[in-house]
Amino acid sequence: MKDTAERAPVKIAIRHLYKIFGPDPLKALEKVREGVDKPTLQAEYGHVLGLNDVNIAMRAGEITVVMGLSGSGKSTLIRHLNRLIEPTAGEITVDGDDVLAASPAQLRQLRRERMSMVFQKFALMPHRTVLENAATALAVRGATRAEQAAEATKWLNRVGLEGYGDSYPHELSGGMQQRVGLARALTSNAEIMLMDEAFSALDPLIRTDMQNLLLDIQRELGKTIVFITHDLDEALKLADHLVILKDGRIVQQGEPQRILLRPNDPYIVNFISDINRARVLRVRSIMRDPGAAPVSEAESVDHNATLEDVICLSDGDTRKTYAVTRDDAAVGVLVMKDLVRALVRSAPAEEDAA
Amino acid sequence: MTPYTGLFDSLGLRAWCDSGAEQRTTPLSMNELIARARGETETPDVSLWDTPFPSLDALNRACPAMPQSRDLTRGLERGFLDVKDTLAIVLDPLTQPLSWMLRTALSGVDAAPWWLMIGLLLLLTWGVARSGRVVALVALSLGGLAFIDHYDYAMQTLAIIFVCAFICVLLGVPLGIAMARSDRLRRAMIPVLDMLQTLPPFVYLIPLIFLFSVTEPKLYGIAIILYAIVPVVRLTDLGIRLVEPEVVEAADAFGMTDRQKLWGVQVPLALPNIMAGVNQTIMMSLAMVVIASLVSAPGLGVLVLRGIRNLELGVGLVAGLGIVVLAILLDRVTKVALQRVNAARKE
Repeated sequence: MKDTAERAPVKIAIRHLYKIFGPDPLKALEKVREGVDKPTLQAEYGHVLGLNDVNIAMRAGEITVVMGLSGSGKSTLIRHLNRLIEPTAGEITVDGDDVLAASPAQLRQLRRERMSMVFQKFALMPHRTVLENAATALAVRGATRAEQAAEATKWLNRVGLEGYGDSYPHELSGGMQQRVGLARALTSNAEIMLMDEAFSALDPLIRTDMQNLLLDIQRELGKTIVFITHDLDEALKLADHLVILKDGRIVQQGEPQRILLRPNDPYIVNFISDINRARVLRVRSIMRDPGAAPVSEAESVDHNATLEDVICLSDGDTRKTYAVTRDDAAVGVLVMKDLVRALVRSAPAEEDAA
Repeated sequence: MTPYTGLFDSLGLRAWCDSGAEQRTTPLSMNELIARARGETETPDVSLWDTPFPSLDALNRACPAMPQSRDLTRGLERGFLDVKDTLAIVLDPLTQPLSWMLRTALSGVDAAPWWLMIGLLLLLTWGVARSGRVVALVALSLGGLAFIDHYDYAMQTLAIIFVCAFICVLLGVPLGIAMARSDRLRRAMIPVLDMLQTLPPFVYLIPLIFLFSVTEPKLYGIAIILYAIVPVVRLTDLGIRLVEPEVVEAADAFGMTDRQKLWGVQVPLALPNIMAGVNQTIMMSLAMVVIASLVSAPGLGVLVLRGIRNLELGVGLVAGLGIVVLAILLDRVTKVALQRVNAARKE
């Protein structure tokens, strides 16, 4: 996780993106701009509103998570980034290059070298071996067999599939198949990875493994990842930047801790009411400035520790105060009373959000 | 006085009707002949119960200027004969390779010694099926046919089927692929395929006889191909359309060109369906090759035809059973090959 002060440059910028499905999207677009909402558009004009004025700045080296329930338009959104779906209106740039203006050849080049994708249903080629699947991106680019095998093997080993290169996808379990999917995306060496509900089809335990693997790889390679999910716990675990989508519209976006502490919409309050806040919230989100309170304990806590960690450490004593450190430098003070208060707060905080 | 005379009179068309009377010699119906024989010049008034349907022939009787039904068939025939020569100029060179291929195949199986032919066929069987049992079945069946002196006929039939099925695949698979990629082509092709499939096999032969010389093998070759190409086209189209959209999307997402997508993903994944189409195509070639013996196709069909023509019951039945044996062979071999493909590409 990064501090807001030292944020990386914007890698993918989405501005005023609209997508409307139906026979005459441009006409329906006028209605949407006049303020017609999704159900009305569908009932009265026969068009489906996929995306409604979406603006997101996705920063290099961060994981941007787009979260929403089914039908919120999140899968539609991710497919706009590599133009598997064409938008009705709006602008998408990658490193400043206009994706929508790309010619078919430029678009292929973008898909081959700058973006890779991981799919919910794995979408492996059933007639090719695991190794050949992992090497897809290189094969498409026309690399030699030896190059393909070397690079694909490297990434298969990295995702924990050593020795499975000659198997066929149907011989592997779901979790292993998605590891192949991940290796396939990594082998392309693209800076951007699009992950469409990549772990949603997996068992909870395997899903946790895969999330940890993804975080490891992300720390190691610093890829720009766009991750789609409907699972809030997953979103909070992975996100540097969280975008919450409802009916094709962004309800709130920002640092996940901030959204948790200051939800600006009843929809989000409802969404986050069931999660274990102690496990998700981190010390840095609720600490005070250094010196704001006297430190009572000899031990200090890391700024990235979860509240759960601190509760264990304090043995439940609410009178304690800890120094908060980052890389051994003091950055703040944690008052246990603040911690307890943060655990229950979940009403929409209008005054804070403003 | 015929039932519809009054109709033309009341419409004031009598003069037009009679103007046509000179040119026509209407053949007399049996009733009219009988009437004439009895010395009756006028047909009696017909009761409502016996009023004929106002068909062309019935109307013609009332008004000679009306065309008769046989003018329709005659017109069709004239029209066909008129375009036939032009059509033949285009089609003849285009289809000449087919004649050449069929002749080569037929003289090839004729020239090769039996042990070489059977050996090659067994090798081919092993190549596509990889199953000892199927090879044994083929050996036994071919041996049996050869033992009752049907070897030459069976080989001719097989040679024709191989050539025709090969051309069906050669033309049918690309056509099926094109149909899978273009909904418009598909909409246009489906009625044509339906017609090819439902037209009685004998009907194919009629225009072909006029177009090509009966001594040319392509005459029956074209009939067989038209009849047998349908399943391979349909199943190629279906197979490609059934490839999972997720996999095709992944191919797009990794920047495959249309060609890479087609040959690297869609065709390999559609292969089980395409193979099922090939199996059907071979079976339909076999059905047609028997009928095609009417227009000089050699092989077991000739014996069946002899059985019918000369009422040689035994000859016809044995040849028919020989065809059944060939059908079983071809079906088993292609099905085992299909299973092999399925097993290797199972999801």
